[in-house]
Amino acid sequence: MKPTGILFFPAFDWAISPTHPEREERLLYTRDQIFEEGIMDLPQIKEYQPGLATARDIARVHFCVPDVEAQITEAHLVSAGSALRIADAYMQGEIKNGFAIIRPPGHHSMSVSHGNRGFCNINNEAIMIEYVRQKYGIKKVAIVDTDVHHGDGTQEIYYNDPDVLFISFHQDGRTLYPGSGHMEELGGPLAYGTTINLPLAPRTTDTGILYALEKLIMPLLEEFKPELIVNSAGQDNHYSDPLADMRFSAQGYARLNEILAPDIAVLEGGYSVQTALPYVNMGLIMAMAGIDYSNLREPDYVPERMRENPANLEYIDKMVKQQLQVFRQREEQIARNRKTRERFHHVHKQIFYDTDYIHEDQSIQLRLCPDCSGFRLIESTAQHRNGYHYRVYCVSIPANACASCQAEARSCYTDMSKNDRYDLVYLQDRVNNDCRSIDIKKDVEMVL
Amino acid sequence: MLIGIDVGGTYTDGVVFNQSKVIATTKVPTDDNDIKSTVLQVLDNLLLQQDKSDISRIVLSTTVVTNLLATGKGERTALLLIPGYGLPADAYDISDDTFFLKGGIDFRGREIDQLKENELAGVCDNIVAAGIKRVAIVSKFGNRNDNLEKQVRDYIIKNYPQLSVITGSQISGKLNFPRRATTAYYTAMTSKEWNHFVDEIDKALAERGLDCEVHILKADGGTLALDISRDMPCETVFSGPAASTMGALALAQEGMNAVVLDIGGTTTDIALLIDGVPLYASKGASINQRYTHVNAFAVRSIALGGDSSITVNAGQVEVEAYRRDVAACFGGRSATVTDAFNCKFNLNIGNPELSATALEQLAGRAMSKEELGAAVVAIVVNRLGDAITSMFKEWENEPAYKVWEVINKRKFTLEQIIGIGAASRTIIPELADTMQVNYFIHQYADVANALGAAVARPTLVVNLHVDTQTKIYTLDPGGVRGSLENPRNFQLEDARQMARNHLQEVGKERGMASYTNESSFFMEEQFNMIGGWDRTGKLFDVGIQVTPGFIEEFKGVKA
Repeated sequence: MKPTGILFFPAFDWAISPTHPEREERLLYTRDQIFEEGIMDLPQIKEYQPGLATARDIARVHFCVPDVEAQITEAHLVSAGSALRIADAYMQGEIKNGFAIIRPPGHHSMSVSHGNRGFCNINNEAIMIEYVRQKYGIKKVAIVDTDVHHGDGTQEIYYNDPDVLFISFHQDGRTLYPGSGHMEELGGPLAYGTTINLPLAPRTTDTGILYALEKLIMPLLEEFKPELIVNSAGQDNHYSDPLADMRFSAQGYARLNEILAPDIAVLEGGYSVQTALPYVNMGLIMAMAGIDYSNLREPDYVPERMRENPANLEYIDKMVKQQLQVFRQREEQIARNRKTRERFHHVHKQIFYDTDYIHEDQSIQLRLCPDCSGFRLIESTAQHRNGYHYRVYCVSIPANACASCQAEARSCYTDMSKNDRYDLVYLQDRVNNDCRSIDIKKDVEMVL
Repeated sequence: MLIGIDVGGTYTDGVVFNQSKVIATTKVPTDDNDIKSTVLQVLDNLLLQQDKSDISRIVLSTTVVTNLLATGKGERTALLLIPGYGLPADAYDISDDTFFLKGGIDFRGREIDQLKENELAGVCDNIVAAGIKRVAIVSKFGNRNDNLEKQVRDYIIKNYPQLSVITGSQISGKLNFPRRATTAYYTAMTSKEWNHFVDEIDKALAERGLDCEVHILKADGGTLALDISRDMPCETVFSGPAASTMGALALAQEGMNAVVLDIGGTTTDIALLIDGVPLYASKGASINQRYTHVNAFAVRSIALGGDSSITVNAGQVEVEAYRRDVAACFGGRSATVTDAFNCKFNLNIGNPELSATALEQLAGRAMSKEELGAAVVAIVVNRLGDAITSMFKEWENEPAYKVWEVINKRKFTLEQIIGIGAASRTIIPELADTMQVNYFIHQYADVANALGAAVARPTLVVNLHVDTQTKIYTLDPGGVRGSLENPRNFQLEDARQMARNHLQEVGKERGMASYTNESSFFMEEQFNMIGGWDRTGKLFDVGIQVTPGFIEEFKGVKA
């Protein structure tokens, strides 16, 4: 039997600020617990060394403004690089599954990155998935976001990609950051139904979450048949998390991962650094490695206090049925969308970066291609913290773009490359693994 | 004058060393059933030509404890575990006599579950009924709070005085409960035999009128006074490879990235020097496939040496893991690795014609003796080369937990092969040539291990953990736990001072005070603990050590 790969990178020398939830201390007690348990010494576990992501790995997913270096620290390169390392180990058959216990986190980072939002600058899972698709040629991927916060960054990156099934359950956006993740967010016109959200009521327990897992998430995965299942593994559904209000336990997290059986889990949030993280991380490792976790629990855990409200189960059941139906009718809906819409689908949105206090204004055009899922043109403006106001133009060609979309998108990049309305114009061509940008004022093209 | 004695699997070597010169050497076959007699025979051989009063220090590297553990012949010992929540009980497959107790400590050293006294009584009755006399008590996070371990120990001392007890926190202050449990268990089960050995050596030295310092070589290449070693027999495991690494360092004395190859009759021990510093096993010594908290050099042993047998089956050449006899060139019955090198490179070892005849006989009609020799040489060089490469790959792939460690990760560039052991002169030149790297084999390479033992200095590692919120500190070795006097203003410098003081105190107890000034910090960690948005305390982990090195009077080896 192959071992479970663990890559533990606690970034003991990185913090957003000294008292921020994302501080050096975050994984300290997790370190103490997993080292004291000696779980890394077991034959079922293989520990991996962190790696470094390249600017190109990041640009395959993000349009970093003004450039990759401006948006990241070395810690981000290591965190993302560590996800790549565990993905390589999995794809090369060294391990049966893998868990990257890494920070800084990433699931709130969207395609365009002007700064830090929700503690994230770059999206570790998306960088990993695009790396794996590029290097190993796989196509269909499922991401299950088990963080208490809606994985809005990952959702946005894959909103128009019908080959990536993004499922997020989270505390209802009306009660928690980032405020999104409602039932109606179901994907773009040509990728309808492969974005599935399940906004749960505050105080939902193990019973409620595991019900949603078994009745919704597992059937979706069964029907979608992904080549890779990724758990975007936040740990803040825990009953002791200081930033959220759910009632999930370490046992619940272990059971979730046992049933879900993700190929790769990547740590996201979770800020109950003493009461939850040491036990939840142990639970995940044990469940993924097939080790009996019945003796695992938090010292203050009282099961009787965590009874699910029957009305809440009914509420969850209603959402489950609705989302299953949406998913099962997605192909018909996409076919209708192709016929009825115009040549381009336009969206306008505003994005707020809570950590860096940046307001971004975006206008997106999606090519409604009859043959593929189209390409995206994004115009984005934002005033950075240094006072500089950036206006950028981004061209994103997905891996499944048809030849005519590729040609059209590339000509958009060429056409805009002399347009002094913009500070920067970007091309992200995943078909040809070509990432480049032009600094219009300096008239310099940078090829990554 | 200094005496070094290295007990090996096949032979035991001894040297007398004085003022940079090897004065005398001896070699006798090792009697595994009576190591004491082997040691004394070597000692007596060495003393034949020396004035006893000139001997100032004797250092032994022995296989007593290693053999006891390998053969499972230690004293029957009960392992009493207090694991609390976490891994299932079957993860702790350490002793056949393992007993579990309720109770729990967390990572901050907080007691989260108490002992159940009636459970304890039942367990102790079972231990006594089984006829067991030794008990090791280990609790998870007992290194952060030894309260539960001490309660059990005190209960046993009071109610079951016939049982000898040790606790995990006495053995190590480091995290890793299974390693602490294993080390405590091995310590308990070898304690009686080891003390018996120390008694006999003491007696024998007194009979010979020797009144000098006597040390034992540890797995980390440092020495420990013989009487201090009574409480920590496990520290003496794998002292043979430690001796050879220290010997290589003594002979080479250059700060290079090097690999030490100790090539004996049937085994080769491989160790790495990074900038001249021996590499430690990151998970501690592995005994019987179990990791321990014993500090040890990272040594890989492979079953390949000068006496390794060669076989040919259906044209397929094999270098076997076993030895049948000495090499044919020394009158052995059949061809060995040494014979193959002897012929191919005209080394003129022993009687080369006998090598040629043996190879020819073995080659038969399947191939020429030249082809056979070349095949054997290729196998040996490949196997050693692969082992070396995979060792430094392993070093490069050690986990890292800080950004700067990842950013500053280095690659291992091999600069030199240092050969020691009887067969190194035969094999290493060709290996070095293939790997395109320099080699160094000193004229005393054959007795390097005994020499390494003779001139090694004592080592000591101190670990401190401080929690300014609970106001508790723990210090290792010794399992010291106390409360902080001034937790509010406690800073890293205070932690450093505290660790340094403990090092000096323990150093004095162990008669190595003069070396504690040469200590260095190997770990300095501090973390702010935040509650809400405020700092509620600090955590410190500080480590200070006297690294392996040489005694003051050692100034190199002259020809």
